[in-house]
Amino acid sequence: MSAIREWMHRLLGSLGRQRRDRELEQELQLHLELAAEDARTRGQLPEEARRAARIQLGNVSQAMEGLRDQRGLPWLDSMARDVRLGARLLRKHAVVTSAAVVSLAMALGTCIAAFSLVDALILRPLPVRQPEQLVYLTFPTYTPERPESDTFSDPLFVRLRDAGRGRVDLFAMSTQVMRPARFAGADGEKEHVRTQYLSGDAFGRLGVLPAAGRLVIAEDDSQPGTHPVAVLSHAFWMRRFGGDPTIVGRWFALEDRPFEIVGVADRRFTGVEPGRPTDIWLPYAMYNPRAFGTFGFNWFRVLGRMNENVRVEEAQSVLQAAFTGMRRDRSQGFGPNRSPQEVARFVNTPLYLRAAANGPSPLRRQFERSLWILASIAALVLLIAGSNVANLFLARAAAREHEMALRLSIGAGRSRLIQQVLIESALVAGAACALGLLFAAVAAPAVVDMLASADDPVYLDLRLDWRLAAVAGALALLTTALFGLAPAVRASGVAPIGALKSGRGRVARASAMRPFVAVQVAFGLVVLFVGSLLVLSFARLSSVNPGFSTSDVLLLSLEAVQRTEPQQQRDALFEVLDRLRSVPGVQAASSAEFTALGRAWTYNIPVPGSEHDTIEATMAPVTAGYFETMRIPVRSGRAFVPGDMRADNSTALIVNESFAARYFGRSVAVGRTLDARFGENDNSPAHEVVGVVADTRYDLREPTAPTIFIPLRLRNTGTVHVRVGGDPTALASRFRAEVRAANSMFRVTSVRSQAEDLNQTLLRERLLARLSAFFAIIGLVLAAVGLYGVLSYDVVQRTREIGIRVALGARHLSVISTVMADAGVSVLVGAACGLAGGLYLSRFVEALLFEVTPLEFWSLALPLGTLSLAALVAAILPARRATRVDPVIALRYE
Amino acid sequence: MWYSIGVSNRDASKTDVLQGTLDLMVLKTLETLGPLHGYAIAARLEQVSSGALQLNMGTLYPALMRLEQRGLLKGTWGTTDSNRKARFYALTSAGRRELEKEQQAWDRMAAIMHALLRGDA
Repeated sequence: MSAIREWMHRLLGSLGRQRRDRELEQELQLHLELAAEDARTRGQLPEEARRAARIQLGNVSQAMEGLRDQRGLPWLDSMARDVRLGARLLRKHAVVTSAAVVSLAMALGTCIAAFSLVDALILRPLPVRQPEQLVYLTFPTYTPERPESDTFSDPLFVRLRDAGRGRVDLFAMSTQVMRPARFAGADGEKEHVRTQYLSGDAFGRLGVLPAAGRLVIAEDDSQPGTHPVAVLSHAFWMRRFGGDPTIVGRWFALEDRPFEIVGVADRRFTGVEPGRPTDIWLPYAMYNPRAFGTFGFNWFRVLGRMNENVRVEEAQSVLQAAFTGMRRDRSQGFGPNRSPQEVARFVNTPLYLRAAANGPSPLRRQFERSLWILASIAALVLLIAGSNVANLFLARAAAREHEMALRLSIGAGRSRLIQQVLIESALVAGAACALGLLFAAVAAPAVVDMLASADDPVYLDLRLDWRLAAVAGALALLTTALFGLAPAVRASGVAPIGALKSGRGRVARASAMRPFVAVQVAFGLVVLFVGSLLVLSFARLSSVNPGFSTSDVLLLSLEAVQRTEPQQQRDALFEVLDRLRSVPGVQAASSAEFTALGRAWTYNIPVPGSEHDTIEATMAPVTAGYFETMRIPVRSGRAFVPGDMRADNSTALIVNESFAARYFGRSVAVGRTLDARFGENDNSPAHEVVGVVADTRYDLREPTAPTIFIPLRLRNTGTVHVRVGGDPTALASRFRAEVRAANSMFRVTSVRSQAEDLNQTLLRERLLARLSAFFAIIGLVLAAVGLYGVLSYDVVQRTREIGIRVALGARHLSVISTVMADAGVSVLVGAACGLAGGLYLSRFVEALLFEVTPLEFWSLALPLGTLSLAALVAAILPARRATRVDPVIALRYE
Repeated sequence: MWYSIGVSNRDASKTDVLQGTLDLMVLKTLETLGPLHGYAIAARLEQVSSGALQLNMGTLYPALMRLEQRGLLKGTWGTTDSNRKARFYALTSAGRRELEKEQQAWDRMAAIMHALLRGDA
């Protein structure tokens, strides 16, 4: 107990709250006086008394030292002193310090930003009760573009839920969709909100509590259409209604159906999909009634909570049994156009239970690998920055050898000197950390913005919590330890005699810096290499010709203002198209159900003459004028004419070259018939091919797919495509008015250009290319600056040697090669290691590359060339300085 | 021959033994004579040991500070007979208890050492 008391007093003493020096000195002075008096009393001569007193006097300073040590905590005091001294020294060499701080700050900042992105999207668990018990279901679909599906239909879900009871409690959550809603009465403005339907027991299973009112409960799910209730998310409640407490009980219209707001969810819960927060939750039973009881609608995900003590394998096997059973039942109803292998594959499809602790997220699947790669690159850049700073410290520490030697010779321990240098490094790292956090606070949201688009916003919760601060602190400490230690040890390993003798003190040989140079070059080359691969990949991808016009085509999404008959809608659409064509500047206008990118609707057509072969054709309903609008050449036959559109039983269809080649082989396609039934409105199975058009791509990464174009039957108006001469965006606002004027039935909800749409599909590659190029440039600049520093330091050090050589007749070239030789070896070694490392690491990036391999000419030439250029630039100035050495001055300089 | 008990803050092993001994001496002195100032304690100890124990300032005063920080002594400013300002140290009740404890420990140790060094070999 008393030991703790002592420690407390000493801590307070360190903070200056205990007995002052003056007071202590008084006590000691008294002791001396009394001692002297006693000596005189004892009969000592004044001489002796004085001498004895002087002997004692010598002890005052020692006693004071002892007292100070006892009063405070010596290690704390020494650290505080070192911090003050270090700060002063760093301020004195402001330029060097700023260079170190800024380069470290940028590197740290990018690392922190990368980590916060990785955390927000990949690592952070959902804010629900025991997230590790959550699972979600997926199964393979055996198609290349979507290898796994996680959406289910109602009857399948019901069967699975019953099967899993007692082992895993399943519940449904629909995929999030933006839907129009009106909050201010029938005439109020239409807003788009992010909605999600879920099972009545979902909130209960997740363990989410209400912040106001109540949440969706099991009762709301009992009968379809009976409980039109809605729950708001906390963020939406704050953002849209300002946290209005009277919101509970208010009614609003969603897609023109009335709903009552019964509550608000807890603040921390924003949905189960990171990056896509939901605004409004609705009961499962309130969904489109046509979706219940049919396998045709796959509109939700199935999540579940495992019961305690139930193993995943157990749950998986009961669910699998139900799943397979259902599939077997369904396969009884298959027609003859499915091969036996296909049927078997369908029935035996496995069902997977995936961990859902951090939520199922297609966004994560899309960007997970990219984010990890970017985070790794950021880490490498940090290492480069760190070695840069290490070299700076090495140079500085060497210059202070004199001071170090002095301190050693009067009794400082070596550990004390190491402590001082380490504290300076820590100060730099701390400042860089603070600056880096600021940088990350700006950079991370900027990257998230790059991931989003106007109608598909991404919101990631990038808050600065203790985990992030801990990571930042740990990184800063690690950098300090790694790169401050070597200089510190070197600095204190000085033999005092040598340093004190030569007045100026020795300086560190640049040879100590060589390993750091090699490290910088190696990591720099790795970053450059990977960056080059990604940049090349993006360049090649974006130069692929999609086969249709992009720069002058605008896409208009229309929406019917009120419900109408399909016939009326179709006529209205044609009116709109005619009106648009008459606008000056418009060269062509047409409509298509789907935009050119993507394969929304595919159909399996059996190949004639073969038993089991089918072609998976993309179906594209379009109006007349589509091929002209998109500048898709017609290879043979004709395009659609208005006559094809009006007839309800039109049998005309157009195919692309790929389809014609596969279905008809070498023979002519035009005039032939195709037997197929496309959808419920298709009455006659025999369709006639009236034209063949050139191939187009639905995804720049994939080869062209066989496509069948049919006249647009009107389930909806589709998207209007308009080709304009000149700048398309200038006419955008004009089009809204024109559409409204043509037929008041329609309203334009969004206008975007085809080019934008295309760019959106290249999002991931563009993100990777931009960011990795950014990192590569930073890394390269850091490495070049580091190299420059070491080279110029070397030249300055060896001025004398160079002077002698020049005086003896050495030529410029030989002088330069002297200086560059050593550094050159480090650069070459570093480059070799970097190349090997880059080639090895490129394996992890391969999945993201498009038509680029690590071992081709440009993949190697780009990074190596850039590095050589940078090294040359870094070496120019020091080389010049070396040749300018005047032997007379050099030899005189001491 | 006189001993100078030097205490080095850096030399822990030596310090522990000597610190403990010095603490005991100081506490006992204050118990016997009541509140004293630093010089008086040193003088008393020198007297009792017939000049063998000459306490260094650098030893005594840090020790007094330490004892005070531990709550075993309490220091107050007062005046000496010759009207000089001095800091007097007095034993606290915790100090008394500690003294009792240390004394017993010392006696035990002395007995053991005695038995070891002079007992049956």
